[in-house]
Amino acid sequence: MIAPLFLTGAEFWADQTVNGLTTGSIYALIALGYTMVYGVLQLINFAHGEVFMIGAFAGYGVLVGMGGDDLTGVMVALAIVLALLAAAVASAATSVTIERIAYRPLRNAPRLAPLISAIGVSVFLSHLVDDGFLGGQSKFYPLIFPNGGISLGPLSVSYLQMFLMGSSLLMMAALYWVVQRTGAGRAIRAVAESRTNASLMGIDVNRAIVITFVLGAIMAGFAGVLYGLFLSSIRGSMGFIPGVKAFTAAVLGGIGSIPGAVVGGYGLGLAETLGREVLNEIPGVNLPNEWKDVVAFSVLVLILIFRPTGIFKQKETKRA
Amino acid sequence: MLKRVLAPAFAPVHARLAAARADTWGRLPGPLHPIVWFGLALLVLVVPWFDDTWMRMFFLVGLYATLGLGLNVVVGMAGLLDLGFVAFFAVGAYTVAIFGSPVSPHIDAELNYWWLVAIAVGFGALAGILLGLPVLPLRGDYLAIVTLGFGEIIRIAALNMSDWTNGSSGLFELPRPGVGYRSIDDVQSFYVLVVIAAFLVWFVTSRLRDSRVGRAWEAIREDEDVAQGMGLNTTKYKLMAFATGASCAALGGAIYAPFIDFVAPQSFTLLVSINVLALVIIGGMGSTQGVVAGALILIGAPELLQFSETADFLANFGWLRSVINTLIDGLSAVTRLDLSTLPPAKEWGERLALYRFIVFGLLLVLVMVLRPAGLFGSRRRSIIFAEDEDKSDEVGA
Repeated sequence: MIAPLFLTGAEFWADQTVNGLTTGSIYALIALGYTMVYGVLQLINFAHGEVFMIGAFAGYGVLVGMGGDDLTGVMVALAIVLALLAAAVASAATSVTIERIAYRPLRNAPRLAPLISAIGVSVFLSHLVDDGFLGGQSKFYPLIFPNGGISLGPLSVSYLQMFLMGSSLLMMAALYWVVQRTGAGRAIRAVAESRTNASLMGIDVNRAIVITFVLGAIMAGFAGVLYGLFLSSIRGSMGFIPGVKAFTAAVLGGIGSIPGAVVGGYGLGLAETLGREVLNEIPGVNLPNEWKDVVAFSVLVLILIFRPTGIFKQKETKRA
Repeated sequence: MLKRVLAPAFAPVHARLAAARADTWGRLPGPLHPIVWFGLALLVLVVPWFDDTWMRMFFLVGLYATLGLGLNVVVGMAGLLDLGFVAFFAVGAYTVAIFGSPVSPHIDAELNYWWLVAIAVGFGALAGILLGLPVLPLRGDYLAIVTLGFGEIIRIAALNMSDWTNGSSGLFELPRPGVGYRSIDDVQSFYVLVVIAAFLVWFVTSRLRDSRVGRAWEAIREDEDVAQGMGLNTTKYKLMAFATGASCAALGGAIYAPFIDFVAPQSFTLLVSINVLALVIIGGMGSTQGVVAGALILIGAPELLQFSETADFLANFGWLRSVINTLIDGLSAVTRLDLSTLPPAKEWGERLALYRFIVFGLLLVLVMVLRPAGLFGSRRRSIIFAEDEDKSDEVGA
């Protein structure tokens, strides 16, 4: 099976790797929110994909409001920075509201209750935007990012891809700094260790949980704008597939672990892009693009069978 | 009132039941309470009184009640959150379609419809076990996300494996269910069929609930570690719950397929899973009457809103529209926002039906926060949830 790989040439595989890393950085940014919330609450935040969607729409609003396709020069840079900020604010506000209304009253309820409530929020938000506001139509990000890119041998990367990967790495580094070096970060880590003990040590548990949601939402909001710039088309249900994929990435890296989410995100991005192409190299196989999703879910099921703790073992995953 | 009229007719039965109540186990609800037979007869007797549009609505309510009762086993009884229930519904429908439709290129089994239903139910259970095996030994949260993914994979697979499924063009000319030499074709007969299926599912699942298996499910739902400590093979019982739910969904699919006579991937989206989950949760987890009431409201109401009678009725409220639109126009002028005005009153019903998932999502959150036992939940379940609230000081996993 290795031999036919060379038939398609090095450029092709270099392109696919870059594509994988690009989608991977979006997955990684979203996965951070899942993993941090899971760390402190042991809850799969099903509505996180919709927080990402809200971010994408907030960014869209800013870009269109500032002139959309007519933007040029420095104004493009300014618009994108403002769009990212607006997305972060909108996503954080959404996430905090969700936590307050749908999760906090259920913190000590049977485990199924917050999970169902989270699904309710997810269904509500995606349909409110799709059916309520947009009437089932998609919106399109203005294509203002400078075209072109650089190439090195077989490797060619567009400016947009470079911006996407670079800015997400920067965001992750910032998040890592907040969690590891600030008081709020210490509080989050303490609550993740043990909520009871943290509260006995005088940590405001509710505040730490809200900060966790805010940090995760900022990452998701950023990811939303990057997704919009990269793929252009956005709609209310856009958060579903990236959300599930990002959760898979978080499990792949080891849920609860921040470096794990990053590695898992890139890993999954590469696995689904390259995985489909590798399968396509088998003579007679021609899988359409949607099979990327199938590859991603197969990855999830395989991890759950063989290494439920993920790559970075955080805590003992409760078996049975 | 009804009870007083009917009481003399059922007096001997009641006496027998009272005697049975004397011993402890007799207090469990009997499987064939006369009222149930009466209710079933009533459900079938309504048929001649309604036209096809209404019967279509009743059929869908019955179908979703069947699916809901199946999911109720998984979510309500065993406490496993399955977000890909549509996958098993699809398995049932596609089994009938692939084996029965002349459009499907590979298999032309020429089997009787009833055999196909049996095969579909078997395949459904098999799919449930195959999906459950890798995930069920793990924590419940993972199950939710894996089933969610599986639901999508089934749809993608059906879309792309055109050799078998004919892709998005779908499969049609399915075999009709028949009794003797007569095959049934009208909505009324399909309604009767689905009522029988719902009754069957209700009977099987309620007997399971009151059996050793049902008590095992309940134990697992309340505390898996303790259940395992008591010597229960939790994986086995979880698989059983999953397979039971899946075969009910496949039964629903096998009835749905010939009813619409067009099996295509578009019919098997995540929204079906959300719909079934919503009616189980909002109606009341673990309660039969809750699921049936949930189906009646959550499936019936949006259908009702799309009836032409409803549109005709709403058309009378055109004056209300002009009043509200005048207000909106005024507000638009003042705030300089371009607010959209109401559509003609005739279209209100359709518009509202379109918003159903916004309402479902909101209801899921509200029910969980305010009334976790559901709107029509069983008393037993309400007590369990009330107890859970008492230990609110407990913190931790």
